[in-house]
Amino acid sequence: MKQTQFKYLLINILILSMSAIAAAGKDETLLKNGNIITISGSDIKGGDILIKGTRIEKIGKNIKAGPEALVIDLNGKWVMPGIIDSHSHIALEGGVGGANEGGNLITAEVDVKDILNSEDYNIFLALAGGVTAIHTMHGSANPIGGRGIALKLRWGSTAPEMIFKGAPETIKWALGENPKQSSFSAGKPRYPKTRMGVEASIRAIFEEARDYVKAWDDYNKKKDNKVKPLPPKKDLRLEVIADVLRGKYLIRCHAYEAEEMLSIMKLCKEYGVKLAVFEHGLEGYRITNELIKYGVGVSTFADFWGYKWEAFKTMPHSAALMAKRGVLIALNSDDAERMRRLYLDAAKTMRFGGLSENEALRLITINPAKMLGVDKWVGTLEPGKDADIAVFNRHPLDPYTLCEMTMVDGKVLFDRAKYFEDRKKAAEIKKQKDELKKAEEMKKKESEQKPDPKSIETQAPKGGN
Amino acid sequence: MKRRQLCFLLLLTLLMILPAAAFSADEALHSVWAVKDCKIVIQPGRVIEKGVIIIRDGLIEYAGLNAVIPADAEIIDGAGLTAYAGFIDAFGDSILKMPEEKNDPSKMYSGDYSDKERGIAPEIKAYDFVNLTKAGITKFHKNGITAALVIPSKGIFTGQASLFSLSQTVKEKAVIFKDNLLGIGFSASSVAGYPDSLMGVIAFLKQEFADVAYYIMHTSRWENEMNGIIRPEYKAEFEEIIPFFTGKKQVVFLCRNQNDIIRAIKIGSEYKLKYLICDIGGEAFRVIPELKKSGAPVMLALGFKSPITSIYSQQGKDVRSEAERELYPSNSARLAEAGIKFAFSSYSTPEPDKFLGNIMIAVEKGLPTEKALRALTVDAAAILGVDRVLGTIESGKIANLVISQGDPLLKDSKVKYVFADGIKFDMKEKKAEGGDKPTVNVSGKWEIMVGGGMELKITLEVIQEESMLSGKMTSFYNQDEFTDGTVSGNEINLVVTANAMGITFDIYVSGVVEGDNISGTITFGALGLGSSEYTGKRIP
Repeated sequence: MKQTQFKYLLINILILSMSAIAAAGKDETLLKNGNIITISGSDIKGGDILIKGTRIEKIGKNIKAGPEALVIDLNGKWVMPGIIDSHSHIALEGGVGGANEGGNLITAEVDVKDILNSEDYNIFLALAGGVTAIHTMHGSANPIGGRGIALKLRWGSTAPEMIFKGAPETIKWALGENPKQSSFSAGKPRYPKTRMGVEASIRAIFEEARDYVKAWDDYNKKKDNKVKPLPPKKDLRLEVIADVLRGKYLIRCHAYEAEEMLSIMKLCKEYGVKLAVFEHGLEGYRITNELIKYGVGVSTFADFWGYKWEAFKTMPHSAALMAKRGVLIALNSDDAERMRRLYLDAAKTMRFGGLSENEALRLITINPAKMLGVDKWVGTLEPGKDADIAVFNRHPLDPYTLCEMTMVDGKVLFDRAKYFEDRKKAAEIKKQKDELKKAEEMKKKESEQKPDPKSIETQAPKGGN
Repeated sequence: MKRRQLCFLLLLTLLMILPAAAFSADEALHSVWAVKDCKIVIQPGRVIEKGVIIIRDGLIEYAGLNAVIPADAEIIDGAGLTAYAGFIDAFGDSILKMPEEKNDPSKMYSGDYSDKERGIAPEIKAYDFVNLTKAGITKFHKNGITAALVIPSKGIFTGQASLFSLSQTVKEKAVIFKDNLLGIGFSASSVAGYPDSLMGVIAFLKQEFADVAYYIMHTSRWENEMNGIIRPEYKAEFEEIIPFFTGKKQVVFLCRNQNDIIRAIKIGSEYKLKYLICDIGGEAFRVIPELKKSGAPVMLALGFKSPITSIYSQQGKDVRSEAERELYPSNSARLAEAGIKFAFSSYSTPEPDKFLGNIMIAVEKGLPTEKALRALTVDAAAILGVDRVLGTIESGKIANLVISQGDPLLKDSKVKYVFADGIKFDMKEKKAEGGDKPTVNVSGKWEIMVGGGMELKITLEVIQEESMLSGKMTSFYNQDEFTDGTVSGNEINLVVTANAMGITFDIYVSGVVEGDNISGTITFGALGLGSSEYTGKRIP
């Protein structure tokens, strides 16, 4: 082996294929003999999935593939649509801390697309938990924060390539304790300090944006006059708010309390703005009628509550109660670690609230897909949809299950067996290299030391043996 | 402060009224030089095997095969030596001494942070804060560097750069181009104020440029129409930015990783700026297609560290150290291969030793020596827009040269002379001339008490390399660096050029070292304080 190749091997192996592991270059892949959970229809025992390019071509039994196809025998493993996490802050430069612009009350002008980091290792670890798409977003520091985006976890691609094509842009709002900064002990006190104030600040910026739009309309009417007026100043923040008023963004509103959710829905109606999803919404189970009537989803936790004052008045049954009443519910991570075990969180809704298997799995597949406006492409296993697929060794709701393989766009981007094989190889190479280095050092030492005739004498017979 | 120290300060103050020139220790300069029989590399690739360089009044008068050597020239025998254009450090802040920022805790509660504290300081000029010291200049000279671009590097609008010829400590004379480059960084300030995040910084920059564009439009309409136009409010901040925004001058983006480079290209092309990339993170090689398409020249820092955002930094020590050993040092080689124009920056390697040392490592990783030398000379000059006066050995250009034994960047080469603005600097070798072999190692920190009625406490931090000493001296009034101290047997000798209250003067220290104890005399040159005895010991 050439030395340079040897040098880079360790990196190449440990970087765990920043490009697709298998199926790279193959246009056709056949997943054979799996227990297929389609979500949209009934499960297929011992079924096959034929993938052509990036899409699912066919699902059923005894599917024949072309002679060139890559065939993967699943040996009865469980197959489900790739998991979708509708609320997260990974793949951002600066981590979760970088996801908040706290310097102003309203920061609609900031955009997480500007800080995407396609090399965040959490992306790969999420794939290891069967996750294939996420919504990465601004934090909850401000009543209206920055814009977010849906990503496909195309590990090894650049940031622009990871953006979910066709997914609408989102904007983060936040109500309650966080924008109030009620847990801040240091720093300059910031308006608002009450829930009323939070809502008032949203109303105020709406009014400002209306004035801004009017100023531009007036200018455009007069700009060809003989006496040319000065144009209004461009304000990037108000331009985004104006687009919010025009309905360009999916509004993702962080809220815990029932009262503040009711109140913000009223405000939005007043301005002709539609909320898409409440984030967390732990008290949503108390106002299911209103949520359904308004038509808003809730992206929530399975059993994570009580971590602050506004997160007490709930229970682990909350998600299931809302789902059963017909509210569009998703279970999200909000955290790089929880992201890797969302299937277990889904299982909890069966124990607490009695959802069926299909209902539970919907919370991490088609429902978040609907919230993000990408259900045309992902969220179920159906012909014509993207081949975003997670393979588990047991049923994904089994407490002992493990994700074995994850595909995005028909490419295997995580393969557990291969991952461990690669680690082993890397360890072996490192060992070899270390030994080589040691030997070289020994040699150098020996040549540096002047031979002492006595020691040579005593060592000679040993060498002979 | 003790009374006697007060007396000392008083003395210093009194001396300030004397003409400053009395203390200046300018190089005795001969204004005409002829270097003959020398290998002249006019620029990498264009070589005169044996030629003559004539230097007059700070400029290159002639460089070529043959010339009548002027009668008034002092001749340097260049046989066996090679002359290159003086090297250029294209981006650094190591000789910038910014005023110490006082942390005012009350601001945490008032939130009254200034624009400067928020990192918005286009008005800060490197020229005002550059600290040109003899010791500092010597450090650069030892590595053949004769010109340095100095730039403030903190915040979003970091400030304006100036290019200095490393010929003297008087910045008024040393400066070549003043305020010729504006730094733009992506680091949000650590104080609570907008913007306090990376995405906020980008949004802020976009709004700022929109505001500057509006200000330009408004001002020009006011100037042209006046009647019927509300006059614009004067904005000092925008006035500083305008020449850079309109492309009259260049901006430089400080990029901490490959993502920053993409951001810089996006903003640079969106606002049609004339821009350079400073690759602080050393990841330019990871975005070569984008860089190539942008056409932006790059200044490469030589830290060879994997940025925290990189995949190589997130999978354990082994991957990281291997990447930093094998991949990151190949940055410049990969750029050279792709035909991207670059210069080198001392930003991550403020010690010039390491700057040149790491360029040599880059050469080991496949960077052609000629390319490296181009980056240090002609390419750096072109990127900074100073190729009419620097970068090659041609008549009419500033006489900045490096003359070495053996080609520079070869392991055994030695810089013999450096010319900066036609002033000759002899590079001493590591061995003290005529001294005995050192019998002591004085490396470390020493605390000495000066007696003789002064009772002055001074700390010396010393690095000993063979028989040469360098380091810094700290006393209650200042901290100054020194180089070229010597050890002979167990005796040390060093000179510190100190700067206190605007006065520059030399302090001579000689002493005898025994174990961890030292004693000797200290002389405050030109201060009329005479010599005093001191004793001291090595402290941990």
